Amino acid sequence: MARLKITGLKKSYGATPAVRGVDLDIPEGEFTVLVGPSGCGKSTLLRTIAGLEDADEGTIEIDGEVVNAVRPRDRNIAMVFQNYALYPYMSVFENIAFGLRARKTPNAAVTTQVHQAAEMLGITALLARLPRELSGGQRQRVAIGRAIVREARLYLFDEPLSNLDAQLRDEMRGEIKRLHQEIGKTMIYVTHDQIEAMTLADRIVLLKDGLIEQQGAPLELFDRPATRFVAGFLGSPSMNFVPATLEQTGDTLVVIFADGTSLALPASRAAALAGRIGGEIIFGVRPEHISKAGNGVARDSHAPLNVTIDLVQPTGSRTYVIFQLGATAAVAELEVHDVERPGEHLTLLVDMNRVVIIDPKTDLVISHIGSAASAA
Amino acid sequence: MSAAAARRRLSRRRAWRLAFRYLAAVALTVVFLFPIYWLFSISLKTPDEIFASPPAWYPASIQFDNFKVLFKDGDATTVWNSLFIAGTSTALAMFLGTLCAYSLARFKTGGDNLAIWIISQRMIPPIVVVFPLFLLYVWLGWVDTYHGLILLYTAFNLPYVIWMMRGYIEDIPIELEESALVDGCTRWQVLVKVVFPMARTGLFATAVFTFVFAWNDFIFALVMTRSEVTTYPVQVTHYFGGQSNFWAKIAAMSVLGAAPVFVAVAFLQRYLVRGISMGAVKG
Amino acid sequence: MSTLANDSGSRMNRFADRNFKYLVIAPAVLILLLFGIFPLVYTLLVSFQNINMMETDTSFSGLLQYRQLFSDIRLWESLGHTLLIVAIALPIELIAGLMMALLFLDRMPGRQIFVALLVLPTMIAPIVAGATWRLLFDNRFGPINQVLGWITGEPQAILWTIRPEYVYPAIFIAEVWQWTPFMFLILLAAMSNVDTSLTEAAEIDGASRLRIFFKIMLPAIWSVMTIALLIRGLDLFRIFDVIWALTQGGPGTKTETISIYAYIQGFRQFETSYTAAMAFLVIFLLTIAVMFALKRMEFVR
Repeated sequence: MARLKITGLKKSYGATPAVRGVDLDIPEGEFTVLVGPSGCGKSTLLRTIAGLEDADEGTIEIDGEVVNAVRPRDRNIAMVFQNYALYPYMSVFENIAFGLRARKTPNAAVTTQVHQAAEMLGITALLARLPRELSGGQRQRVAIGRAIVREARLYLFDEPLSNLDAQLRDEMRGEIKRLHQEIGKTMIYVTHDQIEAMTLADRIVLLKDGLIEQQGAPLELFDRPATRFVAGFLGSPSMNFVPATLEQTGDTLVVIFADGTSLALPASRAAALAGRIGGEIIFGVRPEHISKAGNGVARDSHAPLNVTIDLVQPTGSRTYVIFQLGATAAVAELEVHDVERPGEHLTLLVDMNRVVIIDPKTDLVISHIGSAASAA
Repeated sequence: MSAAAARRRLSRRRAWRLAFRYLAAVALTVVFLFPIYWLFSISLKTPDEIFASPPAWYPASIQFDNFKVLFKDGDATTVWNSLFIAGTSTALAMFLGTLCAYSLARFKTGGDNLAIWIISQRMIPPIVVVFPLFLLYVWLGWVDTYHGLILLYTAFNLPYVIWMMRGYIEDIPIELEESALVDGCTRWQVLVKVVFPMARTGLFATAVFTFVFAWNDFIFALVMTRSEVTTYPVQVTHYFGGQSNFWAKIAAMSVLGAAPVFVAVAFLQRYLVRGISMGAVKG
Repeated sequence: MSTLANDSGSRMNRFADRNFKYLVIAPAVLILLLFGIFPLVYTLLVSFQNINMMETDTSFSGLLQYRQLFSDIRLWESLGHTLLIVAIALPIELIAGLMMALLFLDRMPGRQIFVALLVLPTMIAPIVAGATWRLLFDNRFGPINQVLGWITGEPQAILWTIRPEYVYPAIFIAEVWQWTPFMFLILLAAMSNVDTSLTEAAEIDGASRLRIFFKIMLPAIWSVMTIALLIRGLDLFRIFDVIWALTQGGPGTKTETISIYAYIQGFRQFETSYTAAMAFLVIFLLTIAVMFALKRMEFVR
């Protein structure tokens, strides 16, 4: 179990900067997910922690020890690679045992530990096979087995599930979460998939262009995003962003869209938005926070919207509809039978408590559900 | 240790290792190139320098007399012979071989068996075939002729060309040819308009290696030629005597023979691996 | 892959199109048949006859030549010389090639130039390589003896190409010099193609460099390495040019390899039928060796 502290880390490849100044402080036993779009620097960050790359600037401390100059094999870490990196000419047993043998562990201990790890991952029956005889999911388990058998102090995962199909990915996600609960070590996990991030992380570190955009608990980033990027990255389908202006009608703050449609904001938001009246804003609302009127959900905080449905996309458990909000096409997630066909006219209800208001010039979120109580 | 100190120690260790590797690399290069240097230097030395004991390590002044002698005596024409023979056989082998390679690559004509038979031709030791071929040539009257040697080199380069070009052609996406077919081209047009241009780097690399094989051959030239046709490798051996060797001539002729190859290597660095290993490693 | 019928062509064109794949291989295959099959068949025939310098007896002589093979000591000695050369030069070239490949494996500026320079020995004509070393080994004017003289402190006049105890070292030096770069290049390419995530995983697992080399790198390049060994082994078996340039098989027959002996028998002594029989013996031995080698390669897989 180790505490990881990164200060001021920078790394460039030639003229291209990959990590532009990252500070992280991860306590023992925490499952941290580094997530972001391609090129955001998450893999570089992970590889620098592993020692496979050298940082240009900044320090990496594991358990208080500065490890910048320490070789990967001496850092006492374990890593699971995206393409599993299983040694093709060794059996599963030997693959898992490799690290133990490298450290001259006696044979009896090797056998016990390998079997232990294999049982934890349910691959005991595969120990005699060769990697090429295994399926993708099985290979991934072997790769994880190789990592956990060594009792390292820090575990690194580099997009381990990217090469698996959707169903397997769901299954393995659960396994990894269960694994962390069982062995409780500090784990750092890199992915571009926001669902993996949301379901696995104790803490999400969202990276963009080599810098941390926001970090915190998953729900924290989900409900209280700091920037437009964070708001749009998490959640599937992603949040709707519609340009609008903020006006005041009487005591109520109202969001007015390009086509004249208006939605009233709840009073709790007034304080935060006081200084923005008359200005341009970007209105953000998640598809799942829009419902069909008449489904018994009506509350004060829900504002009505009359729309014509342009497109209907049923998935079996939900139905996604696309309609015009202002000048933008917006998505709403409705119940299965709410809409039959495009062209229908419908009244939708928008949960105004959960909307997000963004400043179009800075792309910062100036009002979300959490900032209701405090001033901007 | 502070972060900055750790980084300094790391880069110092790296620097030492790199320095050591450079030293080793330079030492290796010196050892491997020294004989070639020696060859070149003898070709440029005066007889006194050549027969100096202890030997002179470099020519005091560069003089081309040794080369001039070759040209004057007409020995240098052997280089032209080599050029003509190797060049023609290369062109022929490239043309026929690439056509054949295309058929093998796209249509798998003859299946595995044909392909294996073709590659096995490369493995046959020349000493085994040179004799019966010599008898054949005597019967045909092709001994000591240009066309005899050209055809021989063509035949012996074909397996190599076919093997290499097959690999290069397989690397070309087939969709390009299919779309040309759909557009109305005949097979021949597809070959000429699509395949040859796309494969031109492979063609070039294979052609140069084919040329070098023919250029450097000794045993076939030795057996199949007498006095009318002489290639430069055979000519070099004419300068070996029992007791004394015509050193200057050996060196000068060797340099004439080696120089074009060096130029080829300079251009072909990128394709060296694939050309020499016959695609065993995709390089 | 089906051919498309091209309506706009004549019947000739359509014929050409449909049979395209055969037309196109025809010239190449014909040439190969002429130069590949014919010699073998002819050699076989001749080996059953009795043609030599004196007489041209083309009647069937049965296994006359083959029986002679077995009592020909010079033949078996030459085979022995050939095997000796293969057995010593091949491992040297392999190990030296591996070490050089490891040296150049990691990135370093200018690596491409070094590699291009180091490959030059392989590109010159083997006969020229032999001639070059003949110059180097000359007992009076060659630099080798000179350098040896510096090292040992006394002038050396070693007759590299004449004294029996020095001819084989001379041959080995020339041969290894010319062909180690070949192994080096192939091994370097194979090593460069090894998936880096394998070596990275091994590093993180705590393996030392040596362990990574033997357990990860070597198995990964095994198939390429065996092909390279096969190619070089066959080449070494039929070695001719270098030895011809250095010693011509001498002194006496001390460095006579099978190729040189065959050449002398065929083109100096004109023992046509006998040479034919020898040729078939060589083919036979080589085929067995190749099949054996291929089988072993399959097994390791």
